Amino acid sequence: MLHTADRKVALVLMAISLVYLILSYQLPEFPYTQVDADMLPKSLGYLLLGLAVLLFIQNKPETEEQKAQRTIKKEDLMLMLITLVALLLYVFFLEMLGFVICTIIFLIFTMRMYGYLNWTRNVMVSFIFTFILYFSFNYLLNIFLPQGILPF
Amino acid sequence: MSTLESVLYGFEVALTWQNVMFVFIGVLAGTIIGMLPGLGPISAIAVMIPLSYGMPPSSALILMAGVYYGAIFGGSTSSVLLNAPGVASTVATTFDGYPLAQQGKAGKALAIAALSSFVGGTVATIGLMLIAPQLSKVALTFGPTEYFALMLLGLTAIASLSDGSSVKAFISATVGVMVATIGVDAQTGTQRFTFGSPKLFDGIDFLVIALGLFALAEVTQLIISRKESLFKSGSNIGSLKITKPEVKKMAGPVGRQSVLGFLIGVLPGAGATIASFLAYITEKRISKDPDSFGKGNVVGVAAPESANNAAAGGSFVPLLTLGIPGSGTTAIMLGALLVVGVQPGPMLLTDHPDVFWGVIASMYIGNVMLLILNLPLIPYFARILYIPKGMLISLILIFCLIGVYGVSFSQFDLYLLIIFGVIGYLMRLFSFPPAPFILAFILGGMMEQSFRQALTISNGSLRIFFDRPVSLALLIIAFASLFVPFLIQRITNRGKKAKTS
Amino acid sequence: MNMNKNFLTFVLILALTAILAACGDDNENENENENENSSEANSSVEADAWKPSKPIEFIAPAGAGGGWDTTARTVAKVLEEESIVDQRMAVVNKPGGGGAIGWSYINEKSTDEHLLFPTSPPIMFVPLNDQSDLGHKDFTPLAALTGDYAAFIVSADSPFDTMNDLVDAMKEDPSSVTVVGDSAPGSMDHMQFIKAVHAAGVDAKEVKFVSSQDGAGMTMLLGGQVDVYSTGVGEAVEQYRAGNIKVLGITSEERLTEDVVSEFPTLKEQGIDDVFIVWRGIMGPGDMSEESAAFYENALKEMTETDAWKEELERYGWEPNWMGSEEFSAFLDEQYDTIEELMIEIGLRN
Repeated sequence: MLHTADRKVALVLMAISLVYLILSYQLPEFPYTQVDADMLPKSLGYLLLGLAVLLFIQNKPETEEQKAQRTIKKEDLMLMLITLVALLLYVFFLEMLGFVICTIIFLIFTMRMYGYLNWTRNVMVSFIFTFILYFSFNYLLNIFLPQGILPF
Repeated sequence: MSTLESVLYGFEVALTWQNVMFVFIGVLAGTIIGMLPGLGPISAIAVMIPLSYGMPPSSALILMAGVYYGAIFGGSTSSVLLNAPGVASTVATTFDGYPLAQQGKAGKALAIAALSSFVGGTVATIGLMLIAPQLSKVALTFGPTEYFALMLLGLTAIASLSDGSSVKAFISATVGVMVATIGVDAQTGTQRFTFGSPKLFDGIDFLVIALGLFALAEVTQLIISRKESLFKSGSNIGSLKITKPEVKKMAGPVGRQSVLGFLIGVLPGAGATIASFLAYITEKRISKDPDSFGKGNVVGVAAPESANNAAAGGSFVPLLTLGIPGSGTTAIMLGALLVVGVQPGPMLLTDHPDVFWGVIASMYIGNVMLLILNLPLIPYFARILYIPKGMLISLILIFCLIGVYGVSFSQFDLYLLIIFGVIGYLMRLFSFPPAPFILAFILGGMMEQSFRQALTISNGSLRIFFDRPVSLALLIIAFASLFVPFLIQRITNRGKKAKTS
Repeated sequence: MNMNKNFLTFVLILALTAILAACGDDNENENENENENSSEANSSVEADAWKPSKPIEFIAPAGAGGGWDTTARTVAKVLEEESIVDQRMAVVNKPGGGGAIGWSYINEKSTDEHLLFPTSPPIMFVPLNDQSDLGHKDFTPLAALTGDYAAFIVSADSPFDTMNDLVDAMKEDPSSVTVVGDSAPGSMDHMQFIKAVHAAGVDAKEVKFVSSQDGAGMTMLLGGQVDVYSTGVGEAVEQYRAGNIKVLGITSEERLTEDVVSEFPTLKEQGIDDVFIVWRGIMGPGDMSEESAAFYENALKEMTETDAWKEELERYGWEPNWMGSEEFSAFLDEQYDTIEELMIEIGLRN
């Protein structure tokens, strides 16, 4: 029954629409308005539920192209997960350590990971790119990127 | 003063060497800042405000205006090259611009964008010169009912923005509106889906969604293909060459969408984003070859680019003739006018004709400058794609992060960006198109507010939507555009079947 | 080889940005130099016990270009240029949540003596609408600097000529009048109107209010979609001069003095006992020491007496409205209670 991807997705969507509907019904009432804030959310919740059911029933067979899109090599998947973790770490440390340090480390590490193997250029680009970006934002555009622990 | 005299007077103001210089600085700064994902016209203008202290008012506004349309002009670059739209009005440009770049035609795509932008900007300038005061009265007739109808018309495009399953396109769109409902509701002050966190009161920023759903999701694709280099450096991706048949194909759409874009831009609150989407959709609908859209059709770049630049020009109509800001960007410009000692308002034309006509004339000069400035640089911009993929991926990631951080200064928004990146990736995996999501996100929120404003005004009666002629006309077009294509398809299919059997 | 070329292109683009923005910075550099030259000569700052010892962070709890941002940048500029404060003042934007994000950031640094921020009535309205746990009591009011007033306007062809015409119509049939403001119910645009008509005896629960976005309120008024626009005096002036609108009433105590605005009738002279000041002021974190608070209060006082500040007032059309720290605190408490009472009465707050 469940072997097509669309059906699994449809189930997830149904769950999402139910949660959204529950939250919509909890919205407080506002006494002085013609159409209250919960009108649209409620209709959207039911609409999504209906569409998800439709997707489930429709159960279109996948084209080869779509299937190919979903077969990902383990190696690539690992790389994406590492990217995700790297991004999360970057954001987590950004305000603590500052833009310059985080960005340089992030760039050197990820470039290497994506297969850019020339160390000298890697490090050079990381430093120059980061510094140009930092100084043009902070000192020329007056948009302040986090300074962190560095004194400038 | 007759119009001709006024226009000549405007050029007199705009052609002093200082003002020519300010136009140049403005458009140059605008294109460059606009190219960086995340930094759109609003940031660009805010950055330039301190520079305008002590300037004569006409020069100050000439500079600001240059930055504004320069930023819109430049905004297409990151959309085409990196699939990273930094401004809502260039989202539609990614649909065909990025595929073109992937096919090794980045130079061509950028050249088309530049030329269409130029035409759009010029049409808008002429429109401003000739009919700005008259148009401002039309703009005022647009109330909540008309906006509702206009947004609905935009949303009917959803079906046409998907080439696979339309159920999936509608699901995408529904979730897009759902995301738009997050935040404090303007009509009642009710918090919706904020879980009490002030970080969500203002809703989720457009940039977070655009960069997450488009740019970050695209990064996953680049990661998979990281070992194949995009292009050999000998290949000619910087070539600007546009063929004659292509010019022919684009002439009509660019002309139409420039005019339409200008008119939509005049409406306060609608602006460049809606204009660019409507342009893309209408051209796709009336095209003989709609299937080629989204796969690198030149018209798919030309139409939205001419429309968004024309709309940027159009948004000066309410600003200059009524003193009403039509968008967040023109609102900041209004603030900038105050700084230099001009009270923006309906008296501007009488009190400061030099500002009014000078700015309009300068836009003409600025558009020419943008074209001259950008065309020779395109081959260099396109070279970004020669950067080895390993390096390019890392740089795109940083650009996205800083693009969001530079506007919101919030770690929370960066986490959201990553979440939307993951969502975008999952949507790709299961073939849900991202375009309806972002379109519905942008239009859905505005549509809801207009709908409820209208009903408050009418004390709850739905008749208000049909009593007003413009609103009625727009609604009819919206419904027609939903059903007519289906009917035509039915009829042609039947014809085909009859023939084959 | 190619790599170098590509890399160069990339740097070229970034460098262009840099050069360009550098032109934009000339002004400021000059100013900074001037500061250095004149700071030694400056002796007008009283020898207080406390002085800032590092750059001062000026938080604008809003995005670039808005009212708070402008106030922060203007105050920072005058304080720096006139060498009233020797340290650099960096304006940092913390937008979001109508101010709530910025306030919670400031509250986290509640003992920081080098932190200031601009405020105006939303610091009362946002917490009153339960959109922030922090309110004016959590911070140290240093000084109120300027004041503006609310204006209630109608289009030129409106049947209403005075505030009392409007009030009478609303008493008769509240659903016949639509009021527009640029923010949500419960916020300033809404409550300033409610407060006025409440004082005139209208049942405030029945007021039909539409909230517009991006300043579209004026468009809706001029286009005839709504009847009344609740806004500020500053927004009304130019439309009034062009003959597009009528001003029914403004919320100042007495008529204003400048030429055009002196034609705007006050609510009081029409027999409606209501005054509402849209003040702007400066606050610091809650646990600021008395010494440093006194330093900033004096510095701000000195600033308001400079010609540079008066020029800025003129430029933005701000009315001076000085209140020192103590007076400002008392005023805030009083205004907060008044509005809270009103909100409870009309059911916007429990």
